[in-house]
Amino acid sequence: MILRLKRSITLSNLARWATLCALILFVLLPTFYLISYVFTRWDEVNYEVFANPIIGDENWRQIQQVLFFSFKLSLFTVAFDLIFGIPLAYILARKKFRGKSFLEDLITLPLVIPTSGFGFATLITWTTATGIGGIFGLQSGLISLDAVIPFLNIPFLVFIVHIALTFPYIVRTIATKFESIETTFETASRTLGANPLTTFRKILFPLSISGIFSGSVLAFARSLGETGATLIVSGVSSTASIAIVRWTSEFKLATASFMGSLLVVIAWLIILPIEVYLNKGSSFFSVPYRFPRTLSNWIVKFERFASRKFTHIKNFVPLFIVVITVLVPIVVVLNSVIFYWSGDPYTGKIQGGVLYQLFGPSNYFNSVLKATLTSLIVALTSTFIAMCIAIPLAFIIKRWWYGGVIRSVLKVPLIIPTSSLGLSVLLLWGSNGFNLVSSGIWLIILTHIVFSVPVIVESVIAAYEGSDIQMYEDSARTLGATAYNAIETVSLPLIKGGILTGFILSFTHSIGETGATFIVMGRDVTVPALVVNMVEALAIPAALFTSTYLIILSLILLAIIRLTTRR
Amino acid sequence: MSLIQLVDVTKKYDEVTALDHLSLSIEDKEYVCVLGPTGAGKTTLLRIIAGLLEPDEGKIYIAGILVNGLPPEERNAVYMFQQFALFPHMNVWQNVSFSPVIKDYQESRIKRLTLEILEMVKLADRRDAFPHELSGGMQQRVALARGIASGSRILLLDEPLGALDARLRVDLRAQLRKLAEDQELTTIHVTHDQEEALMIADRVVVIRKGKIEQMGTPHEIYTSPKSAFIMSFVGGANFFEGNVIKVDDSGSIIEILDRQKVHVSDISRNVGEKVVVAVRLEDIILGKVDGLESNIFSGMIKSTMFLGSSIEYVIKLDNGITVSSKRLISDAYKSQKPKEHVFVSFLPEKCYVFEYPKIGLLKEIEAI
Repeated sequence: MILRLKRSITLSNLARWATLCALILFVLLPTFYLISYVFTRWDEVNYEVFANPIIGDENWRQIQQVLFFSFKLSLFTVAFDLIFGIPLAYILARKKFRGKSFLEDLITLPLVIPTSGFGFATLITWTTATGIGGIFGLQSGLISLDAVIPFLNIPFLVFIVHIALTFPYIVRTIATKFESIETTFETASRTLGANPLTTFRKILFPLSISGIFSGSVLAFARSLGETGATLIVSGVSSTASIAIVRWTSEFKLATASFMGSLLVVIAWLIILPIEVYLNKGSSFFSVPYRFPRTLSNWIVKFERFASRKFTHIKNFVPLFIVVITVLVPIVVVLNSVIFYWSGDPYTGKIQGGVLYQLFGPSNYFNSVLKATLTSLIVALTSTFIAMCIAIPLAFIIKRWWYGGVIRSVLKVPLIIPTSSLGLSVLLLWGSNGFNLVSSGIWLIILTHIVFSVPVIVESVIAAYEGSDIQMYEDSARTLGATAYNAIETVSLPLIKGGILTGFILSFTHSIGETGATFIVMGRDVTVPALVVNMVEALAIPAALFTSTYLIILSLILLAIIRLTTRR
Repeated sequence: MSLIQLVDVTKKYDEVTALDHLSLSIEDKEYVCVLGPTGAGKTTLLRIIAGLLEPDEGKIYIAGILVNGLPPEERNAVYMFQQFALFPHMNVWQNVSFSPVIKDYQESRIKRLTLEILEMVKLADRRDAFPHELSGGMQQRVALARGIASGSRILLLDEPLGALDARLRVDLRAQLRKLAEDQELTTIHVTHDQEEALMIADRVVVIRKGKIEQMGTPHEIYTSPKSAFIMSFVGGANFFEGNVIKVDDSGSIIEILDRQKVHVSDISRNVGEKVVVAVRLEDIILGKVDGLESNIFSGMIKSTMFLGSSIEYVIKLDNGITVSSKRLISDAYKSQKPKEHVFVSFLPEKCYVFEYPKIGLLKEIEAI
């Protein structure tokens, strides 16, 4: 009996160490290599960035400029998200109405749509006559590509794209948090005489502050790292992520890696205090000061008034934002494909049509097929390898004392700007590092594993925590199941949903990923990268077709997610 | 020889000591209730026996074999959770046959065994139902059936009736006891419900702050409590602080608060000692008792509480002390009303005398 015990302990130890080694090699090293690269190649960085004989510190000034712009953009995006996302989250969590699940899908859509396709849809919608402009009978788009929001000095299209892509993180995270809070607290508050808004401010808001913070962190990181859509709509402006792509393609690796490291470090300095605060377990929020009595009376009065008068505005505006930023671009792009199908609708030239560009001399159809194959191989392989690491890892995280540390380290690949990540992977595995893999499909796979592992781990853990696995497993153990038996017969079937969700999330993420892929792909172009290439080559009808194709692909995947997560 | 034996078992969580050098022996086929307030270490004790937790110190023997370090599946002790932990992705049949399947019994034997046990708990017709389709009482029976089907001789029950509503809880107590007896199981049943423990157990072990406070038959625990805490936790009582001023063969005299004297039969204390006098609620009589000259106080009824078969009176005595008295409804015809003046008396032989607790009387009886 004791002998058997020893053997099973050795085996499980072996499995644990293998998983941890794979984690370090495939996920953590690629994530952190960028920063160490800056230190080991400091001479190069210094030469390129600070003391170039020809341009002096021009690159350094550019870095400061794009970094400032990127952080400004992300902060305003999150602020905007919060103002309109919290009411929407509240509606989703607390109200029942027809079309609710459609609304939920609509909000989730930007999570699964490949960003370059989405960016292109937005571009078409706002800047061309095929989009909103056409509805108003204009010969051009509603706005021009370089239109800027007054005062904020942020390009309008970039802002719109960032809001659409970060909105789901805010709304979903906060809605989930709201749902987890029992309505009895609010009911009690209402019966004690508080109006809905006051109840929200005094009860629901403080109880869900942790969810609001973590949603904001996710949205902030997403905005900071967004590359694919921004590449297409940015025009002359440049965010930090795009600058990294540009410099990498110009082989200014030192400049790119220095900037990437700065981006990661500054992002961490902003996010870390919030994470620490959240991990401390203080899920409540208390305002350290109290409003003067007259002021708080005034606030309550205002809230009572607003509760009565502004309900519809509160409900309507967020809905309007979702429709205009998500639904309209998709409809426009689908519509445009039909519009451009056989030829340019304005000039009548068949060279400007979808058919000609796909099957004509440039033969884009072939590129689309090839890119689809590349994308599928990448997504399947990287997701499979990531699952092999992530599922055992999720168990390790829940069972061992250092699990919390691993879990928070795993947040890094999720918030690291994708172009920095791509650069880091390129430097680690490519000729400047291990010199094992050069740009191409294998490097894409290695890159996608980095962000797939945390995605799968998080969904497996969510399923794990959702159904009290430890209790069921303990039960199975006292009923005579060995540790391995218990995992096989009880735990794995119970978290099946989580594993499936993780698989699909990772798969869609891999299919749609643009920023990192663009840097490491070499000649093996994936579908989203192809869209970017087409836009740059001004092959608009082909880009329209490919975006539509991508969007339909992700709609199908979304439908599968819906089916699997709903029991 | 005892079936389960714990020797000097200690378990600490960070700063909190859940079990403090606890030793306990449990005989074969015994039904033991471990009773204690929340946080006393009851669940920790059970988990350590099951092998779900390892103690920091001390030894655990099952059937004479040292089981420290042995994984739960090798201990043959089934742990039943308060929420039953029926596997939500398996139906009743799969849940109950879980252990036989895991243990790789023959197909025909699995079928026979599972059916037999399902019939025993009267759930054979619900064999295809999933746990969420069953009522709380049914879930509890499935959990029990699953435990019995494992063939284990030891049943560890963690508040097995806690998740059920009050009426069902009472009904199921007797069933649980009978099942354990019929199956010749050794059962350790953890509860914080003293009524449940007294009714169901062969032996009650009261633990507090990780230590055994007292153990014995339900009758012993109720009639000869060892401390004011036990008295308060099991059954409840009125408590008075006082000093012993006289001891002779006929009994002792204890002076409480404001120089009033209480006569008690107990003669185990010494003159001058600070003590606690305790009287059960049902031993406080309203009115004067014939032939009784001491232990009579006058007061006013503050409130009454109707409990169905009995009424509980809260009486404020003229000396400022508040006492509670529980009277059966049959002799409450006079039906005292609040603000009425009454006499309160109690017999010297119904008084318990305890050493004054070091942590103070209030802390002692506040049940932590």
